[in-house]
Parts: sequence; structure tokens; C-alpha cells
Amino acid sequence: MRTAKSNFFALFLLLAAATVFASESATDGASFDEKLKACAACHGQNGDTPLAPEYPLLAGQYESYLANSLRQYRDGQRTNPIMALQMQILNLTEDDIEALASHFSSQSSNLRSLAD
Amino acid sequence: MNWPTISVLVAICSLSWANAALAADAARGKYLAETCMGCHAVKGYYNVYPSYRVPKLGGQGAKYIESALKAYKTGERLHGTMNANADNLSNEDMADVGAFFESHGE
Repeated sequence: MRTAKSNFFALFLLLAAATVFASESATDGASFDEKLKACAACHGQNGDTPLAPEYPLLAGQYESYLANSLRQYRDGQRTNPIMALQMQILNLTEDDIEALASHFSSQSSNLRSLAD
Repeated sequence: MNWPTISVLVAICSLSWANAALAADAARGKYLAETCMGCHAVKGYYNVYPSYRVPKLGGQGAKYIESALKAYKTGERLHGTMNANADNLSNEDMADVGAFFESHGE
């Protein structure tokens, strides 16, 4: 039941994102600001308030881990359907990946390393 | 049964009563998460290739951790060490491990 509900919600988000970016992707591609907003739409303004409990906190996560995750989604090594679609729409460059990872890792949240 | 044993049992029972509202058991999760600490609680630990920091898990969402572990178990997400570790976990175990990490944020 819960899964059906979150699947429906995910589908809604997919369609919403697709609609927002449909025009941009046909032309010059989204600006960095729009790419940032696409992440924030599900992970929260600063990556600190995920919209659904299944979505991870990004704020304060290690930059290199976030960048690696984005590369894995871009290269199809990670296959979450929402993230896969975002990759098709956003066409992230290596610079975008570095900048997004840097942005979210520098935000604050409850996230902490258990080594500290 | 001696008194210390009985008081420990009473303490455990009241703990489980306190957690009854939550579906997942963070205390059990802590026990199951011992293995995780070998990488996720080591200061400055890097995945070797490709090179990236082993992610922070303290305070991360329980449901996210649970879904990540499921993805490692099914092979939807590939990482040798994580695939091997997740393979041993039941759905209940994954929920408990998630609850443990979520409860250990800042």
C-alpha cells in the first residue's frame, strides 16, 4: 500500500519535472540554477528536507560521494528510475556534477560521520 | 534466575515497550550495524576505485537506508562489499539498521 502510494507520488514528480524541463532540453539545456532547482524539488531547498522518506539527505554529505553518485546515475551504473530520467533531462556536464556536489555537501543538516 | 538477570530482562522489555510505536528497532539495528562501522565509522575512509569518501550515515533517513540496502541485495545497486553485506539482511534487519543510523544524527 505504502509502496503503491510512493510509486504514484514518484510518477507525479517525474511528470512534473518532465513538463518543467521539456522546453529547455529541446533548446540550450537547463541553466545551472535550473539544475540545482531540479535536485531541490525532491531533496529539499538545501538538500536537507527530502520530500519522501525514501529520498536521501544530501546536505552535509561528502562531496566526493555525491559526485560519484551523480556519475553512476549518468553512466547507468545506478538505475533509480527518477534519477535516471533526471539525467536524461538535465544532461549534466562534469562541471555541473562537481558544482552540485560541492553545493550540497556545504549545506548543513543532521548528517554526520559516525567516526566523529 | 537471579536478580541481575531479571533486571536486565525488565530493562529490555521496557525498551521494547518504549519503541513499540516505531515499527523498526534501533537497538537491534545497532547490533546488526556493527559490520557497517568497519567502513562507515572510520575517519577519512575512502572507497578505493573510483576514489570517494565512504558516505556519512548518521542522521540519514531510515527509509532511504532501507531502500539502499534492498537495492544492494537485489543487485540494482552494485558495490562488492555492500552487495555481500546486504545479502545477509532480512527486510526487518534493514529497517532496524536504518532506524539505528537515523537516530544517530547531529
